[in-house]
Amino acid sequence: MKVKALARPQSTTSRSSLHDLRPTHKNLNPQSHPQARAREYTRAVTAAKLDRMFASPFVGDLKGGHVDAVSSLAICRTNLCPVVTGAVDGTVRIWDLQNRRMVASLDGAHSRNVSGIVFGNGIDGQFYSCGEEGIIKAWSIYPKGQYITADVDDEDKKPRARKGNPKSSQDDDAESPHGPLNVYRLPSARNSSFANAFHSIDHHWSESQFATASSDAAVHLWDPERSTPITSFNNLWGSDDTVTTVRYNPAERDLIAHCSSDRGIGLHDTRTASALQKTIMGMKSNCLEWNPMEPYMFVVGNEDYNAYTFDMRKLSRPTTIFKGHVGAVMSVGWSPTGTEFVTGSYDKTIRIFSTRKEGGTASHGGYGSNGTARDIYHTKRMQRIFCVGYTLDHKYILSGSDDTNIRMWKARSSEKIGQLSAREESSLQYRQALVQKYAHLPEVKRIHKARRVPKFIKKETEQAMVQKEKRR
Amino acid sequence: MSKSISQSDEAPPPSKKTKMASDLTLGATHNQILEQRKSLKKQIHSLPRDQKSKVLSHFHGSERTDMSKQRLRNLREDDKHQDTSNMSDIQRHTLDKRKRRQNPALQRQMHRRETKRLQNAVAAADAEEILHTHTTGLVEVETDMERTLQLTQQQLKNDHLQEGVARNIFDLELKEYSPYKLRYDRSGRFSLLAGAAGHVSIIDQHSLALTSEFFVNETVRDACFLHNGSMMAVAQEKNVFVYDDKGVEIHRMDGHRRVMGMEFLPYHWLLATIGHSGQLQYQDTSTGALVSQHRTKMGPCGVIRQNPFNSVVHLGHTNGTVTLWSPSSSEYLVKLLCHKGSPVTSLAMDRSGRYMVTGGGDSKVKVWDLRMYKEVHSYNTYGGAPTCVDISQTGILGIGHGCHTTFWRPEALRLKMKEPYMKHQLSGKGVESLRFRPFEDVCGIGHTMGISSIVIPGSGEPNLDSMEHFTNPYMDNKQRREAEVRSLLEKLSPEMIALDPDAIGSVEESNLIQRRQRMRDVAEEADARKVEEMEALKNKKEKKRMRGRSKIAKKLARKHKNIIDDNMLKLKELREKEKAEREAERAGVGGDGDSDADDETPSALKRFF
Repeated sequence: MKVKALARPQSTTSRSSLHDLRPTHKNLNPQSHPQARAREYTRAVTAAKLDRMFASPFVGDLKGGHVDAVSSLAICRTNLCPVVTGAVDGTVRIWDLQNRRMVASLDGAHSRNVSGIVFGNGIDGQFYSCGEEGIIKAWSIYPKGQYITADVDDEDKKPRARKGNPKSSQDDDAESPHGPLNVYRLPSARNSSFANAFHSIDHHWSESQFATASSDAAVHLWDPERSTPITSFNNLWGSDDTVTTVRYNPAERDLIAHCSSDRGIGLHDTRTASALQKTIMGMKSNCLEWNPMEPYMFVVGNEDYNAYTFDMRKLSRPTTIFKGHVGAVMSVGWSPTGTEFVTGSYDKTIRIFSTRKEGGTASHGGYGSNGTARDIYHTKRMQRIFCVGYTLDHKYILSGSDDTNIRMWKARSSEKIGQLSAREESSLQYRQALVQKYAHLPEVKRIHKARRVPKFIKKETEQAMVQKEKRR
Repeated sequence: MSKSISQSDEAPPPSKKTKMASDLTLGATHNQILEQRKSLKKQIHSLPRDQKSKVLSHFHGSERTDMSKQRLRNLREDDKHQDTSNMSDIQRHTLDKRKRRQNPALQRQMHRRETKRLQNAVAAADAEEILHTHTTGLVEVETDMERTLQLTQQQLKNDHLQEGVARNIFDLELKEYSPYKLRYDRSGRFSLLAGAAGHVSIIDQHSLALTSEFFVNETVRDACFLHNGSMMAVAQEKNVFVYDDKGVEIHRMDGHRRVMGMEFLPYHWLLATIGHSGQLQYQDTSTGALVSQHRTKMGPCGVIRQNPFNSVVHLGHTNGTVTLWSPSSSEYLVKLLCHKGSPVTSLAMDRSGRYMVTGGGDSKVKVWDLRMYKEVHSYNTYGGAPTCVDISQTGILGIGHGCHTTFWRPEALRLKMKEPYMKHQLSGKGVESLRFRPFEDVCGIGHTMGISSIVIPGSGEPNLDSMEHFTNPYMDNKQRREAEVRSLLEKLSPEMIALDPDAIGSVEESNLIQRRQRMRDVAEEADARKVEEMEALKNKKEKKRMRGRSKIAKKLARKHKNIIDDNMLKLKELREKEKAEREAERAGVGGDGDSDADDETPSALKRFF
């Protein structure tokens, strides 16, 4: 008779010393794991709850803020920390994101609203601001235009000292260590500058060139070395309306997109005098941004509370309509990954929209998205939002609003800031996978999508639903 | 041909390592292979001892399948017996030459095979380390004359088992408080002994030491562990009490009166009890709330068992029926007449949830298919009706009847077997309860003279899982604490108990038409509810009226009062006509005398005329 009975040697069951890892065992037989599906589902519900429990998107504000409503915001294209904001009272402030403190305040930079700010594409920290009084000024985030870093020794890597600036002699601004390095004006506007207010400014992605949009229904291209525009496109498509936004395409060096107050969005080749394409929307578009990763896509924020993504090859219809706001979309900003964008609205909320299907891997120009916001951010004190933007590491969102504050938000509300331990990370990934797996089940979906919004937004959303049903 | 053999000569799981290795042997030259073989041998030689023995056992185990070695042996045998007498000189010369060279092609092939086997053995040992593919215990007969049934516990203890396992065979004489009920916790580490006369104790099965022992000084009808070995519920004379592992009373559950049977559902943290009143009660042991109570309406009941597959509670009744219950439905889910005319004395379900085994007062043990609710077959017991049945993790069926216990192989559930696997006789002791110990080849028996523990090889699940909460018998305090928190986080809600445990999260089988119909139904239902609510609201207002006026007929009549239709008009006309006639008549009666004065005098003065 041959007999074998179970006997587990000590070495397989318990650790030999306190410093050892505990022995782990795995039994893959499904009968050893009864009701596995139900238990996994319960874990998924818990995971969805935990995700919402950890959601605390507000990081803080930039200390001090502005004195008046923040109207424009520029995030550096080459450096993680510098941010510049402009206010309605004409003040421009330079900020350091790392410790959320002001570096310098350029009081009286403009005499009216600072309608646009943009960083140059160099590493010298130059930026341009345009005001509604009709003046563009060039500044540097480094005092006295000096760009010195400890690790760069090469002389030629430093920016050229700017000499013989074509600075206007009648410039009566107080001189600050940050500039202005240059002042630019439209030649026709020297006498009546207010008639030709600038509404938007954008810098070329690779060349030393910038473009402005102004009230005289024109887009002007400027060379930083010259005080007058090198080219002007007047009466685009024979329209006399104000151009409100102008943006260079990140990839096509001669392509410009713009919005005008005749409700149109247009594309323009700067080499020719003619326009490429134009489409007319139902209402005016307030802002436009090109997708940095898929440069044939762009998003516009519209007065009709929606954001639209367009494929520049086919402007006849938007690829996706992103709905949800109950006020005009004032500003949009792409994530540097090009997979999601943030909108700031007149309804005092920020919404984040993903252009890809939830849980999907590939972005296809916003075709997969369902057009609803992934997340909504708001605070009691935040007023109407005029400018938003992603930081370069796509981890944070900045917003400037009517209440003079510039706020910093996490791009993923429940993300933990800082280093994760390996165990933390693996359990986080497991929880995310669980939520994704059971996202279609009502309970998980309800918890995962639930957002507390202010009462008036909830009411207006309901009203909008009723109106939509009625129109059907 | 040879290739296919070499591929199938091993059965280790195809890990990455083996694939890479087999690729190496495939295109390598003979010298490379020799080098590889050398390095592999060196590698195996330098392994730790237990690992080395594992690798070597895999290597030698696969020798049988290596055909080349056999072929060489055959060739040599042939050569030895070859008749060289009628060969030519040249033939003899070539033969000698071949013998001297020892068939180099075959030799090369052998080397290749051996290298491959070495590689596979290393990989198989690695895989075993990862997958823990331990095998169950067994009893095998070696000659036709032997039968496993003949093997006694004494023989097992003396001749066959290691010391560590043999110590599980013991008897405890506890006459004063018997008969005893015996239960193990989910890990099989602790056993709970409950003597009917009020003795409760916990034994640590690893050290076989008494963890705690106390006397409640009243009748104990049943006892069971809660989520782990640190808490237990004891059904006493009147109430159910919860004690911790030191015997400290934590809770007295007044709601459960004269309980005869208890079962703890580990994933839902529910304690299900049934007793003299025939009320099945579910109590949540984490929140303390009474989840539900169902009246079975079938009298006192003490036979209760949960189906580990779906956590449905099965009750065996005195009228021979078995009913299936879940907390969310007040009616039983299924009712089976298992033993006609005799009570159900015991029942057990197997781990896959397919088979239920019931023991009846008619001295029969029946096996039921829980997918069809049909009887598969039945076994008869001798020496008394079955008092307790249990199915081990591996599917071994244990039956206690009279003073005997009988054990059947796992196949006995599917097929009708001729003879049992093992048996054990407790002469003069009535078997009260029988439970297999999880993860060990041990079976515990509670009887009228105390407790017995025996070894049934092959009854325990060999592979542990440390991720499954409270099933690791070697869990230390830290792991136990962590498991408590985690299992509470994963606690299933009582509504999730259903016959099909995988219903949640699965795709519903329906088509568009059905879905639309269902949506329409839902909408209609909602509408109906709305109407009802509106009416209720209306009725509420009407309620302010005086008493007696709200009778439905009157209310309807009142409502109809103001409706003007043809009938109403006709009635009205008729009434007016009658009125006019009456007046005319009266006028005729009064106008007998002077009609002129009659006309002019006011009506109040008429009587004076």
